[in-house]
Amino acid sequence: MALLELDGLTKRYGGLTAVNGVTMRVEAGEVRAVIGPNGAGKTSLFHLITGVVRATSGSMRFDGREMVGRTPYEICSAGLSRTFQLTSLFPEMSARENARLAAQSHLPRSWQPWGGGSVFREASARGDDALERLGLTDVAHRPAGLLSHGDQRLLEVAMALAQRPRVLLLDEPTQGLSVEETLSAVDTLAGLLTDGSLTVLLVEHDMEVVFRLAQKITVLHRGNVIADGEPEAVKANTEVQAAYLGGYA
Amino acid sequence: MDFIGFLVTQCLNAFSQAALLFFLGVGLTLIFGIMRIVNFAHGTFYMLGGFLGFTAVRLTGSFWAGLVIGPLVAGAIGTAFEMGLLRRLYRRDESAFLMVTFGLTLVLGEIIRLTWGVDALQVPMPSAFDGIVFLFDEPFPTYRLFLAGAGVVMALIIWQFLERTRLGLLIRATSQNAEMVHALGVDVNLVRSGIFGIGCGLAALGGVMAAPLITASLAMAPNAIIDAFVIVIIGGMGSFAGSLLAAVLVAFVQVFGNYYFPDFALAAMYLLMLLVLVIRPGGLLGKEA
Amino acid sequence: MANPKPLPASAVPSGSGKEIAGYAIAACVLALAPMLLPVFAMTLLTEALILGLLAMSLDLMVGYTRLISFGHAAAYGIGAYAAGDLLLHTGIPLPFAVLGAGAIAGVIAIGVAWVCTLARGVSFSMLTLAFAQLLYAVAFKWTAVTGASDGLAGIPRTAGPFGLTLFQSKTGYYYLVLLCLVGAFAFCWSLVRSPFGAVLRGIRENEAKTLSLGYNTRRYKIAVVAIAYALGGLAGALYSPFAGFANTDLVFWLFSGQVLIMVIVGGQGTLTGPILGAAFFMLLEHILSEYTESWALFFGAIFIAFVLFAPQGIWGLITRRKEVV
Repeated sequence: MALLELDGLTKRYGGLTAVNGVTMRVEAGEVRAVIGPNGAGKTSLFHLITGVVRATSGSMRFDGREMVGRTPYEICSAGLSRTFQLTSLFPEMSARENARLAAQSHLPRSWQPWGGGSVFREASARGDDALERLGLTDVAHRPAGLLSHGDQRLLEVAMALAQRPRVLLLDEPTQGLSVEETLSAVDTLAGLLTDGSLTVLLVEHDMEVVFRLAQKITVLHRGNVIADGEPEAVKANTEVQAAYLGGYA
Repeated sequence: MDFIGFLVTQCLNAFSQAALLFFLGVGLTLIFGIMRIVNFAHGTFYMLGGFLGFTAVRLTGSFWAGLVIGPLVAGAIGTAFEMGLLRRLYRRDESAFLMVTFGLTLVLGEIIRLTWGVDALQVPMPSAFDGIVFLFDEPFPTYRLFLAGAGVVMALIIWQFLERTRLGLLIRATSQNAEMVHALGVDVNLVRSGIFGIGCGLAALGGVMAAPLITASLAMAPNAIIDAFVIVIIGGMGSFAGSLLAAVLVAFVQVFGNYYFPDFALAAMYLLMLLVLVIRPGGLLGKEA
Repeated sequence: MANPKPLPASAVPSGSGKEIAGYAIAACVLALAPMLLPVFAMTLLTEALILGLLAMSLDLMVGYTRLISFGHAAAYGIGAYAAGDLLLHTGIPLPFAVLGAGAIAGVIAIGVAWVCTLARGVSFSMLTLAFAQLLYAVAFKWTAVTGASDGLAGIPRTAGPFGLTLFQSKTGYYYLVLLCLVGAFAFCWSLVRSPFGAVLRGIRENEAKTLSLGYNTRRYKIAVVAIAYALGGLAGALYSPFAGFANTDLVFWLFSGQVLIMVIVGGQGTLTGPILGAAFFMLLEHILSEYTESWALFFGAIFIAFVLFAPQGIWGLITRRKEVV
């Protein structure tokens, strides 16, 4: 049994089918990239997986448990953390506090209305650890709203990581980054993802990033899966080339 | 009285009530739909309209003068307020608008109290509609018929204005993409000020129309803002058709509820709003999620 | 972000020893007040502390969670009527009536909050107003519980448990009020610095993100509204035995607005600011009413000025944080 199993997952908005019967198996420890042209349904797929949007039909099982119909916070608590395409942080809190709040939700008694010293200590430890892994320790005390765009994208990843998820969903982590920032971010991410302890789903437009990080690639086109496999095989797939890769092959 | 007569009079009652609610709600929804701000002072402008109507009739003897003066004065005050103070807040979050317009409610409300006093003032009905007609042997105030008709006319005018005129197109464009409109060389600030003024003017118009029935009083404001808001919530923020539908719905619930369950009539409107919120949080015809 | 703005005084609640010492001193000064101030000033001070409690309770919603309520007078009214009824009809000891009334307000608030949190932002705010207006209309008619338009009169200050008569005198009652305020302040202080409080701050700054991090934000919102209403109800419950009566004025929408103004002008999100705001407004109203009946006009204008130019409020101005690079 794969860690994440999608079966015929579909989302229709009236006449428009954003995600059409997507079937996928993601094994534990895998780094899977989801690519496709604009409008292919990649972010919609993420919304379905994380419960932001309710599937019209199909099933999604995480560790054997059915997740369709669950709320976003239930799914997150089960162990799936995500970042967003449009940076979403707590701008007036420091980077450290952002990470701490992210980590807190996965600790017991995260709702405690008094004291909380031990909760905060553990959450800070996890948050600081995540910040360090993303190279953000230097800016930990700066308000998140004042960080550079690149650091903000990394902070989002750090927050997801601080939750110690089983599956990490990254939605275009390098979007809006300059060339140097992208290179640096990819180095950092590569360092994080190689030890196999984390299962990652990655939506990306930048093919170099994809080929650097992904072990397997799923290609979406107009809501359908048109290819699924090792990077080299996908590169060679003519259908994929026609739909998307163009001159990248 | 026989059932048909009862049904007809109550339905007409509801339609005249719907007209009043529509006047109240449409200005608020226009302002929200285009500027994404909620004018808390909306109820106070409605009240201002009522009092201005009173004065207009006193000075000129003509109700129709009130219908013109009320909205014009209210619109001017609204536009001035927007240009002077509200404009500074566009970069801040929506709660700032809510609070500043609340402050305006207090200031304007007090000015109204100082000008007209604390007593409820009776505004005489226009002589043309000051009578009674008999429908199915039931007496029915002509003024309510006038209201119902005016409501329909107003809805048509606003609809055509938004769909067919250049200014209406500009307004709709600004609500969807203000930056684009700005890039096309239009002074978006002016459009916004204009909209705010029109919204306040519409509220005042509603107040003038309502005054002969409910008398101009200081209690008008808080109930008006809530009524307006219930209409906008049920119909959907920013939806003109929604506020029309909601006005009719709420009016019918109020009129028939008042007849069958007078003690709970007040709660009926809130229950309806609650129902809509649970089933369709965006409102019946709302565009916002 | 291009322009660094100064961090709002409340972005990160701190708890330094100096601050706590400062509050302890303030509490001591207040405790000594009956020996220093004349009787009429003590009456004003008692009322100011009651309003301060009410404003502080609203701050939990407004300043810490960005839930703007235009209907907080409802909490006050429920507490006042509940305490009045308990004292008039059951004769239970005063402190129990007061605390019990606060609890009643909190329980009712759970239902109110459940409804209001169906909506967000402006819609939430208008729902709170709608509820308060509904309560106002109900209070006007429900003779058995509220005395309708006449209200409840002659509310006694019953003897405390075990024959304690301390709270029945003016000075004694002042100490009851001060005790409640200090207790509530300590409770809120602890609450906003707890993990629960950290989540509230998340909701305030970015509710969508907080939701996606795995928090059931609606539950937190309902909880904070219930707590705010319970404390607001406590304030109301302290008021009706103090004044001896309770009527629909306490649930009037203008009063809700005044409380909101106290919070914003005093300094939202600081707990202390709203208490100062309440005192400031009581003083202002006292002075202004000598000269004019139009205090609403001045309150409104001052409110607008603060929202536009000094959103951090009086306390925010006093404790101004430096610019952050």
